[in-house]
Amino acid sequence: MRAADELIENIVNLSHLPPGKRRQEIQRELRCHIEDFILAAREAGSDDDEIERLVLANFGDPSQIARGFAWVYRHERRMLRVFVFVLSTVVLASLLSATILAMQAGVAFGFGIPILNVLASRHTAIEALDILSSVAAYVGITSLERLFDGHRFQKATGLLALILAVSIAWCKAVGVSTTFLAFGFVNGFFFRAIRVFITRRIARVGIVVACFALAGFVSSHLRSPVLQYATAVNCASWLAMGAGYQLMTDLAARVDAALFNGLQRVRAGC
Amino acid sequence: MEIDRQFLKGSISLLLLNLLSRGEMYGYEILQEASRRSANAFALKEGTLYPALHQLEKKGQIKSAWRTAENGRERKYYSLTAKGKKTAREYEKQWQHLTGAIAAVLESK
Repeated sequence: MRAADELIENIVNLSHLPPGKRRQEIQRELRCHIEDFILAAREAGSDDDEIERLVLANFGDPSQIARGFAWVYRHERRMLRVFVFVLSTVVLASLLSATILAMQAGVAFGFGIPILNVLASRHTAIEALDILSSVAAYVGITSLERLFDGHRFQKATGLLALILAVSIAWCKAVGVSTTFLAFGFVNGFFFRAIRVFITRRIARVGIVVACFALAGFVSSHLRSPVLQYATAVNCASWLAMGAGYQLMTDLAARVDAALFNGLQRVRAGC
Repeated sequence: MEIDRQFLKGSISLLLLNLLSRGEMYGYEILQEASRRSANAFALKEGTLYPALHQLEKKGQIKSAWRTAENGRERKYYSLTAKGKKTAREYEKQWQHLTGAIAAVLESK
């Protein structure tokens, strides 16, 4: 019966249960129940149209039932989400670090600077940390957006800002530098904001190029205002960074979905 | 008489645990039994039963197993665990205490 199938599909979709064993089990159980109901209704002499109407009327509001299931399995969903967030952050940050550092090594090579001077430096370690915190902020916002129904970006950003404030307070208490956390939050927020509010890809790329070139120019002039050569190198390096982060916004959702579905398949197979 | 949903919400665990204390049952059977024993007073919306059953199972008060019934149909049967039996007894005592107290208030002049 199509109406019953749609009803069950509706319930499991609204419950936000991840695909896998649990979801299939609920579908199977609800289907068995409706089949029992249909058999009893047929025996009582109801026709198909009447039965369809009764199924929908007696089963209850799908969104209310879905909320019930979502509540029961809320901890499982949260744990899985946190695990996927950590995994996505590590995978993306590793990928991005490799990509950005490769591009910056290319820039260094192009400007005749020894590559080892760029890669084997304190700057590389700081940059890797910045990339990690930026990816964590970006993926964090996209993950937190799933918790809300309306104004998702704004609410997710607010919540992440709160988490950041607590993290900074904790870092200060134990004497750890917090610059990379603040940089990561601003960077992650910037890339998520342009992804959410600017629909045209070319416009997003244009904004990233303009902002990162400007950031490179400003940071270079803060250090050595007179050297044009150093400014050009710095701007190119920042543009490589911008290109890497732009790549992050394209890959984040795919990596997240692939890991989430992969983990579900592993769990379903267990 | 239709019972307010809020009343039912608080008592559904007691109701389910009590029904299952009489023997294992599948979802549809639980509803039929609740309706029969209460002379149709407990006309629960059918779908809302399952989140409640899953919640009890998650708490370890009931357990479930898929089995094929005599008519060849597959069904998920629920039964009480030891923890569920204990909880059912506790809930029953609490319920009797509560209804006694409420009745005393309602009947007082």
